[in-house]
Amino acid sequence: MTPRVSLAGVTFTYPGADRVALRGVSLEIAAGEIVVVAGAAGAGASTLLLVATGLAPRLVGGTLAGSRTIEARRCGIVFARPWTQLTGLCSTVADEVSFGPACAGRPRAEVTELAARAMQQLGIAHLALRDPAHLSGGELQRVVVAAALALQPELLALDDPAAELDPAAADALYRMLPPLAAAGLAILLATPDIERAARVATRALVLEEGALVADGPPAVVLPATEVGVLARAAGCPAPYPLDVPALLARIAR
Amino acid sequence: MSGWDLRVEAVRYSYGDVEALRDVSLTIRSGEPVALIGKNGAGKTTLTRLLVALIRPAAGRVAVGDWNVASKRPDEMARRVGYVFQHADQQLFARSVREDVAFGPHRLGRRAAVSAVLEELALAPWADVHPYDVPAPLRKLVALAGVLAMDPGVLILDEPTAGLDRSQRDLVVAALRRRSAQGVTVLVVSHDLGFVAEIADRVVVMEGGRIAADRAARELLYDADALATLGLRPPATAEIGIALRLPGAPLRSEEVAATLRGVRWKQSAE
Repeated sequence: MTPRVSLAGVTFTYPGADRVALRGVSLEIAAGEIVVVAGAAGAGASTLLLVATGLAPRLVGGTLAGSRTIEARRCGIVFARPWTQLTGLCSTVADEVSFGPACAGRPRAEVTELAARAMQQLGIAHLALRDPAHLSGGELQRVVVAAALALQPELLALDDPAAELDPAAADALYRMLPPLAAAGLAILLATPDIERAARVATRALVLEEGALVADGPPAVVLPATEVGVLARAAGCPAPYPLDVPALLARIAR
Repeated sequence: MSGWDLRVEAVRYSYGDVEALRDVSLTIRSGEPVALIGKNGAGKTTLTRLLVALIRPAAGRVAVGDWNVASKRPDEMARRVGYVFQHADQQLFARSVREDVAFGPHRLGRRAAVSAVLEELALAPWADVHPYDVPAPLRKLVALAGVLAMDPGVLILDEPTAGLDRSQRDLVVAALRRRSAQGVTVLVVSHDLGFVAEIADRVVVMEGGRIAADRAARELLYDADALATLGLRPPATAEIGIALRLPGAPLRSEEVAATLRGVRWKQSAE
């Protein structure tokens, strides 16, 4: 598979920061992959998303060393704080979601169709005529994901995209990812929600203080889930179960 | 610090044409840890904003202890109620984490254990960093540290664990349990039922601007059918408790782990 983005020994420092945010990171992400990035807050996951999509240093400033090749023709990103991502120029959700493809110069009919499809996918069609400024945090988060999808990206970076969603909406968002990847999208996903991530990811990365310390299958690389930690505390031997059904299957009865 | 009770009586509120709260009444006893759950757009955040005078109800009455919130300004409410916004960035403004956390108590003329609160939430390494150079999820912890340092009688936290990893979430759990034990009234808005199970005694469910359910946490979080109608599943601890018919409806992870310590484990799922 063609890589959508390749990093070789990439180090990144934010403007004016004393510490390095990414340290010698090398990896390739190909079409069809769903790569989850784990690590404590501050380990560099959000920075990796900005660097992989080309937004750092272009948008945020700072210095990048090493080599980076972005093959994806369009990169979409969903920031961890969705309200910072609104255009501020649109008075309806439909306009907000249409903004990207419209700016890319797509014909009007196509823009309307792309926006409608993206809103449908995210379950926000009923919000189309609402003012984005009057939405709840979770509704807004889905608007921003829809806006990113309407751009038809080849690489999509999602920074904790379900942080403000209710559980049903979060499950729905994660369920949407495998078909998108199967259609050729490369997805880079940063989240502390190990259980949901492990269900969809094809590969996992772990960052520690900006360095890539693990890169492999999710089951091997990811830290234990909440259920896994509980099982370990209750004396269950490794490998720790991912979820409740897996835990129940481990109990001898 | 002991707590204050919260009383919301027949409150209505709208954003333009959208009715966010339709006749909501709710009483929370002083010292009671309560979680407010419900779908996006159910009115949870709106309700909490009314309690700290950030918005005024179109009808009805809101009281915190003997204060009628209608006659108070948000800065007056802050003396009694610590509020962490859903988007906590909006409440950080100082040049360092330490200054930000020290601002509230300083303004109230109180001596505060700023360093102790920073330690409690593992923020000491970030003390001298500008709040906006702190990773986004940790800014929520900074905002929480800021309100804890004011030693309020009521804590209202809107999605305090969003974006936090497990170890960071455990710090919030421990901090809230400590405050609850001291009699502080805790009201938490959260989608994370695992977190709710760790800290709340009572769960209030909102739906379409109304209170749809109000039950003991051990009852509601064990009631898979009731949760399913809300599009929710029991938290992992209750799911385990239900499946294994554990006695006493254990909810907190240490309770469940303790009950499971006697079981025989297979080496693998096969």
